[in-house]
Amino acid sequence: MRRGNRIVLACIYWAFVLYVFVPLILMILMGFKDSKFIGFPIRSWTFDWYTGIFSDVEVLYTFGYSVIIALLSTLISVAVGTWIAVLLESRKFWGRAFTFGLMVLPALVPGIISAIAFRIYARWLEIEPGMGAIIWSHAVHNVPFVTLVVMARLSTLPKSQIEAARDLGADPLIAFLRITLPYLVPAILGASIFCLLLSFDDFVRSFFLGGYEPTLPVLIFAMLRSGMSPEINAISTVALVLTAAIGIWAERFTRNANKGSV
Amino acid sequence: MSTEGSVSNDREGHVKTEGERSFWGRLANWGLYQTLMTVITLSPRRQFFILAAFPILWLLTQHLGPMLQMLRVSLLDAYPVAPDVAQEFSLESYFKFFGDPIFWMPLFRTLIFAAVFTLCTLLITYPVAYFLARHVSRKNQMLLLLILLIPFWVGEIVRTYAIMILLGNTGALNLALKWLGLIDRPIPFMYTSFSMGLGMVYLTALYMLLPLYSALEKLPKSYNEAAADLGAGAWSRFRKITLPLTIEGISSGSTLVFLISTGFYATPVLLGGPSTTVFAETIAGFFHVAGDEWPTGAAFAVIMFIVALLITGVFQRLMKSLRKGESS
Repeated sequence: MRRGNRIVLACIYWAFVLYVFVPLILMILMGFKDSKFIGFPIRSWTFDWYTGIFSDVEVLYTFGYSVIIALLSTLISVAVGTWIAVLLESRKFWGRAFTFGLMVLPALVPGIISAIAFRIYARWLEIEPGMGAIIWSHAVHNVPFVTLVVMARLSTLPKSQIEAARDLGADPLIAFLRITLPYLVPAILGASIFCLLLSFDDFVRSFFLGGYEPTLPVLIFAMLRSGMSPEINAISTVALVLTAAIGIWAERFTRNANKGSV
Repeated sequence: MSTEGSVSNDREGHVKTEGERSFWGRLANWGLYQTLMTVITLSPRRQFFILAAFPILWLLTQHLGPMLQMLRVSLLDAYPVAPDVAQEFSLESYFKFFGDPIFWMPLFRTLIFAAVFTLCTLLITYPVAYFLARHVSRKNQMLLLLILLIPFWVGEIVRTYAIMILLGNTGALNLALKWLGLIDRPIPFMYTSFSMGLGMVYLTALYMLLPLYSALEKLPKSYNEAAADLGAGAWSRFRKITLPLTIEGISSGSTLVFLISTGFYATPVLLGGPSTTVFAETIAGFFHVAGDEWPTGAAFAVIMFIVALLITGVFQRLMKSLRKGESS
């Protein structure tokens, strides 16, 4: 009975793996098709689409643009998110539950509503649509993820270490910089990678807050609306390989770092 | 790495020169810094104020601010306001929503879609999470979970495009069906609620899988063994023990997936057709045309957010009472 169950469940698991991987594998394959026409079967193969996008200035520029946005927004998210985490985890204070609720709000608002709200707010603040607006919206949206990860790590920090530092004469700031911050490094790095990927992959906020220069997902979306072509597959594949590789690396890195320092 | 090095370095320096020569020692002895620190740490109250001021300000202006401004714009009769015209508050945008089925039908459809897709995601991922948590050794659990995480690092647009290639008229699915001799002509999967559902489940599955997995993983195996010793069959063990004790995971996973599903914009645009227009597309429409439609768009966004929150609130309460009812 139990054995039979196990086999059925294993089949379901592998079927799910297929569901999750097959579309991506098909998409990658299609990028090597030697024809402008998207569809199966693929009869001849080529690398032309890849050489094409790597010599296309617009694609390369868009790529760099997305990376810069991801880096800058991550920097802001990490600094602000860590600060909020330290506040929320340090002591109980009046209104802490409310503060926590406000902190997670951007992560719970459905994508389209979040984008619209940022668009309206940006106009009120007189931020022009464009790079600054995108960076700002990504930064705000990603803060909760940083705060949650850092809070989880902070809650395992032995309080005695801080007390010892204070007893030895360190003021709160130095105790924070020399004890707490080094302890948080793995969490902060993990959260940074997560923010980078969230920002790099984000479509809806970049779409509504962007000016004339598209980010990579917005560019792919615009190309898709005017028709599918293997060129899009090549661009998507490059983005896919990059994000998946960074994701896997971060996963392993944070696991090792957490193991090492606990 | 570098931090560790510097710590051990100035620990040595500390012993030798009593903190005079190290960076931290110099900082602590620097007059300006000392004055600054005395000012900051004068009283616990002031210290807390300095710690809290920036985060509170950020949360109010950046997290709450956009939502409040959206609410305000939704209550205006025109936005942006012309320089010499007074702002007038009106509920016109809200009445507009109820006045025409062209507006409330998409919302209704979005909610039905989101609910159905959430249920599908739950039914698909529960066995997967169950398998991972109960039938796989600890060492392999992480590996098998990591395999599933890889595709979820990939962005929304890229994965939507992958679904388009799978389901197109000359796509892989139609080719496979034709090859098997099941169909003569391709089935038009694309631009239907089916393609949209497949895409959305594909995008949200992880947000269901992880809460379910962590709930199932926490559940002690001994509970099931005890029930089995007492003669409970596999089905009643699942229904009486596993399911009630994982309701929390089901509840939080479903809430997350439901909220995310209602907010998708690009996926319905790319995978859906004219008969599957979702509310996100309706809202977005007001922001692509002339600016004076903004209050309507804002009002619609507010309506959608409130309705989505109400539904998830009722759902969570229901799950809670279900859990209490089962355990008593």
